[in-house]
Amino acid sequence: MNFKHKYVFLLPGLIVLIGILIFPIIFTVRLSLSGWNSFNPGLDFIGLKNYIRLFTDDPRFWQSFFRLSFLAITTVFLQYIIGFALAHMVWKDIKFKRFFRVLFLIPMMTTPVIMTVIWRTFFHESLGPLNDFLSIFGVQPPWLSSPGLAKVSIIVVEVWQWTSFMFLLMLAGLLSLPKEPFLAAAVDGASPFKKFIYVTFPLMAPISIGAIIIRLIEASKIMDTVFVLTSGGPGTSTETSSFFIFIKGLREFQMGYAATASFTYLIIMIISLTIIVKVLTKVLMRE
Amino acid sequence: MAKIILENIAHTYEPNASNPIFALKEMSLSWADGGRYALLGPSGCGKTTMLNIMSGLVNPSHGKVFFDEREVTSMITEERNIAQVFQFPVIYGTMTVFENLAFPLKCRQFPEDQIERKVKEVAEILNLQDYLNNRAKGLTADQKQLISLGRGLVREDVAAILMDEPLTVIDPDLKFRLRRKLKEINDKYKTTLIYVTHDQNEAMTFADNIIVMDQGEVVQAGSPKDLFERPQTTFVGYFIGSPAMNLYECSASSKNEISIGSNSFKVQANINNYNSENLKLGIRSEYITVENEHTDNSLEADVIEVEDFGNYKLVTASFDSFRIKAKVKRELDIPSEKVILKLPAEHCCIYEDNKLI
Repeated sequence: MNFKHKYVFLLPGLIVLIGILIFPIIFTVRLSLSGWNSFNPGLDFIGLKNYIRLFTDDPRFWQSFFRLSFLAITTVFLQYIIGFALAHMVWKDIKFKRFFRVLFLIPMMTTPVIMTVIWRTFFHESLGPLNDFLSIFGVQPPWLSSPGLAKVSIIVVEVWQWTSFMFLLMLAGLLSLPKEPFLAAAVDGASPFKKFIYVTFPLMAPISIGAIIIRLIEASKIMDTVFVLTSGGPGTSTETSSFFIFIKGLREFQMGYAATASFTYLIIMIISLTIIVKVLTKVLMRE
Repeated sequence: MAKIILENIAHTYEPNASNPIFALKEMSLSWADGGRYALLGPSGCGKTTMLNIMSGLVNPSHGKVFFDEREVTSMITEERNIAQVFQFPVIYGTMTVFENLAFPLKCRQFPEDQIERKVKEVAEILNLQDYLNNRAKGLTADQKQLISLGRGLVREDVAAILMDEPLTVIDPDLKFRLRRKLKEINDKYKTTLIYVTHDQNEAMTFADNIIVMDQGEVVQAGSPKDLFERPQTTFVGYFIGSPAMNLYECSASSKNEISIGSNSFKVQANINNYNSENLKLGIRSEYITVENEHTDNSLEADVIEVEDFGNYKLVTASFDSFRIKAKVKRELDIPSEKVILKLPAEHCCIYEDNKLI
């Protein structure tokens, strides 16, 4: 076959790839080197000014990044623990196993934004049912207006929404495990706890790593929950990187600066996720 | 160690079905303490089910299991004190070889010094002493299988070591060495070894007693010699031996004479019901000899093929509409067209309804 023909056949795929992935990235890089804002819309060239501003003169971006890291790690950790526990529960032969399997999947079937609106109502400090109930005990916590509790609220909503996904992956993993290691452990006289520690958990390590990484990538983009539940408030106490970029780009129209923040965020995420994968592989698979 | 008795055992995996299919049909068997057994049969014949019933991984639908005088039918695996090696090596990947071997003892809360002594002893038998501090995950498939076996051996008081096709993943040379090792272990510790396989060579070279199973039933139990020379059913005759036993439909002309097509043969069996239409003659290819002229019990056949296997020749010939295979000495010259074959009367087995008379 003519060597050039290969590229002809590759072309449709390459065009789509360039159109949806490579062009936006290159354009973002170019945009980040410009001073594009609402007063001066256009692709001028200002060099690394935006980057210098981001790294030396914008603690808000870094605060939002560390807040995001905290929220992402906490929510994914809780989702993993709860999801694994629930999957382990319905993996065994228990009564109403099928009912529970469907029940635990319901949050994933709902629309996140709509559910967050419902949660916002639930957490509402004067009208919400939660505080209505807690008032019996004489407390009415400011769920959405205290910096600490607002973060807790976001964590609760995220965990509720996405534990189902973790549950689904972990259950699929558990159902695919070979039965011999469990039989061998039974023959060796291992207790249920030892079976979990030495058989189930190590066998589930590759699936766990995959599930955690998928959820971490998703969780690092937390945006809709923050937007609907707290709008980044009170103040900027629940603002995450994506919300910060949204504010800079689409509220303040500092397109060049938002592109700088986006690209920097992308690079940090690639590096951090690579490190996290390595660490998780070392810790969970003990390699 | 213990004598294992299966009393009227039967098992079905569909107990609630109106007409359940039994993976294991009702049978009683006993396994002597310290014996070396092989459970042999084609895939799906119920070997693994029987093994799992003994280890407690499967609860039988009918019957009772005894270890010595103690009934263990309702006991869980952990309480039966049995060791089992599976087809594919099972190791605890996060542990070292030492920790793997020590695991069954740790689960039973043995003192540390006893664990260390026993693990080192077993590691030496299995040639694993140089790997004790290595992670088990990094070892080869056969070393991993040795670890699985070792976890059974560290417990001195096991009732039996049950092995479910344990050498499937091992290459042929090592299979031979491991089988020899298993025999040594059996000689040294007098542990009852029950070895499940569908490979007749494995069973013949490993066990003192072979139990042949087919379609959930024990069709014959005996020594390798018995199974080879006096197969109790045509299935055993066909299943054991390579090539399989020569089997021909025949009719009886008297108590000690049968005819196959135009040929008559004397046999040593007493055929009482010689009007039976369901008679078969079986003879091993090893016992058929090539003759220069017609003698008693001989037939003339057309040579189809002579295969040289190095240490013997396999002659395939045909007479009437039948095929016959004879294993002969390599140095023997086989005529290219006609050959006279003798079927010695003492090696002719007569089957009525596929059962040996």
